[in-house]
Amino acid sequence: MAFSDVLTFQPRLKVLSKDQAWSIHNAALEIIEKIGFKMEHADARAMLLDAGCTSSGDDWLKMPSYLVEDALRSAPRQIMLYDQLGNKSMPLTNGNSFYGTGSDTTFTLDLETGERRRCTLQDTANFARLVDGLPNMSFAMSMSNPEDVPVVEDIYVHAFAKMVENSNKPIVFIADSGRDIVKIHGIASAVAGGEEALAEKPFLLNYSEAISPLRFPDYVVDKLIFCARKKIPICLPSGSNCGGGAPITLAGALAMGIAENLVGLVVHQMSGKGAPFLFGPNVSTLDMKSTVVSYGCPEWSLTQAALADMRDEIYGLPIWSYAGASDSKVMDAQAGAEAMFSIITSMLCRANLIHDVGYLEYGNTSSLEMVTMANELVAMSRFFVNGIPVGRETLALDAIERVAKGGPGSIFLMDDHTFEHFMQAQFLPVLLDRSRYDAWLSAGGEDLYRRCNAEAKRILAEHHVEPKPDEVLKEISAILG
Amino acid sequence: MRSEGIERDSSSKGDLIMSEFESLTQAVIKGDIQTALAETRKCVDAGTRVQDILDKGLIAAMDEVGRNFSSGRIFVPQMLRSAKTMQECMIIIKPLFQEGDITTKGKVVIGTVKGDLHDIGKNLVSMMLEGAGFDITDLGVDVPPDKFVKKVQEVGADVVGLSALLSITMPGMPATIEALKASGVRDKVKVVIGGAPVTEKYANEINADSYAPDAASAVVEVKRLLGIS
Repeated sequence: MAFSDVLTFQPRLKVLSKDQAWSIHNAALEIIEKIGFKMEHADARAMLLDAGCTSSGDDWLKMPSYLVEDALRSAPRQIMLYDQLGNKSMPLTNGNSFYGTGSDTTFTLDLETGERRRCTLQDTANFARLVDGLPNMSFAMSMSNPEDVPVVEDIYVHAFAKMVENSNKPIVFIADSGRDIVKIHGIASAVAGGEEALAEKPFLLNYSEAISPLRFPDYVVDKLIFCARKKIPICLPSGSNCGGGAPITLAGALAMGIAENLVGLVVHQMSGKGAPFLFGPNVSTLDMKSTVVSYGCPEWSLTQAALADMRDEIYGLPIWSYAGASDSKVMDAQAGAEAMFSIITSMLCRANLIHDVGYLEYGNTSSLEMVTMANELVAMSRFFVNGIPVGRETLALDAIERVAKGGPGSIFLMDDHTFEHFMQAQFLPVLLDRSRYDAWLSAGGEDLYRRCNAEAKRILAEHHVEPKPDEVLKEISAILG
Repeated sequence: MRSEGIERDSSSKGDLIMSEFESLTQAVIKGDIQTALAETRKCVDAGTRVQDILDKGLIAAMDEVGRNFSSGRIFVPQMLRSAKTMQECMIIIKPLFQEGDITTKGKVVIGTVKGDLHDIGKNLVSMMLEGAGFDITDLGVDVPPDKFVKKVQEVGADVVGLSALLSITMPGMPATIEALKASGVRDKVKVVIGGAPVTEKYANEINADSYAPDAASAVVEVKRLLGIS
């Protein structure tokens, strides 16, 4: 803040004491030392046994905690994600929060009809383009599990290509296994100008999942090792949700999810020392009536705030997180309330890479309108988290004197101080409506969903995405085959 | 939890059979394993027909539990605890049935299809079907089509349940249906599919008999397919 004379305190959320943080960490270490984990990948198993892990002869291993200490020391404490044009875009380090969309929803709300229907590749394209056009959305994910991919095994390769064609922002991507990730890496290398250029300035991050509880299948570890070797940033959150993949209690689910992450981190750092690893499990809850994994619950926001505390206290690694999603089937008051709850808390705890923005129906449906609304909620939250700049200009004693002593007709609205500062001093909403009733009614009397719908349509129609050079597009279509 | 249904039943005049199993059904509904076991033993010692203990005691209780769950009066862990209570009681009465004498509502073979290692949803469906009185053979995860076929033939299954969490593994479902067809048993079994990416439309496309969006509706669908109320 240029006009701030004293350092501005920026509100920050803490949910764990030091003792709580260390107790959860110690429990995580006890899980991998005493309970162990199932490592189904033969090469990784051999590597771990060689490094000091023990086994009872099968694929169940136990890991001494010094291997975790080594991995935590060699993993980088900051990850810089570039955009696809080679500019620094997302410095994932303490204090920075970046929001973006999520991955494989089965359904999407049709922009024209509002109907919930199966996703197609065009939806992936639309979401990527919308993200590109929204200032507070920092990265794209596929947001759909398209049904119109010719060969289902290549679903993620096609989704990645669509995102590359429709956005120049960083991409968080899914791959099925060690097979299709090679193709995706090929496309990314074409965009970056070669494999080395990509490793130097990565614009992508892989999202893979171990299977809770404590299971590391072949196809997951293949991707982990591939990314470590190629220096492609990766995260490995398992589905350690309370009551489903993990115990019902938050502390136990956190400890187990962290244990799974630490095992992943060890394999990762042994496969590529110093390669970037984004830390953190997904600790949501399994709803005890519907058995869905909730995307609007307070528990997930609480566990990721706890993880942020553990990052600050223990790990020092940037963290993976979620926000801006809902269990509601439509973009209604529930969707707005749940989206805002996770957006503001994830920012207040300084989560770093925050995905799943725009999910409805516990992640089963995506909505362009929801992403558009969340863009504004992120802006609102940023304003709040920036705090109150205090200094000569903002205390405005001169303006107070001028107006108070200015005689009849003297108002702050007319004062130069207002004109000079109102753009920074206030949050200026675009979609959140504050118009007077009559003006709102004569403008069509639309609710937030309709306004977000119109705005999403406008962005998709008007926003220009700098196209990739022809030779890059040619390479991509050759890889797609 | 005392349900309205049971209160009505037990208060109806002359319904001696219901009252005979009142304590047992209540224990199963509450998930009170110790009491349920004691009540089961009491019934056995009193010479009650084991098929009655099963039908009018245990399954009647689970039907009530199912109704309580569907209407949102109880949560999943309470329902599963009741199912566990029933299974514990079954350990006592199962040996008392003559070979092949036990009547179940139907035989279900269930598994997660080839390539997919996720099992939470599938396990939940198994538990609930078992609680509803079905005989379950759970083949686990990553089950290839021929393994489904073999088991269906072996146990003479009425229903096959196929689960998949990943869209990439979903083709394991039509592959299994094809394998059932090729070995000539497709007409003898109903196929129910489920899992996060599975839709009704997909079920129609691959000629499955039904699709269940969650575990509770899986029970409803299986009953519907077999014509059981």
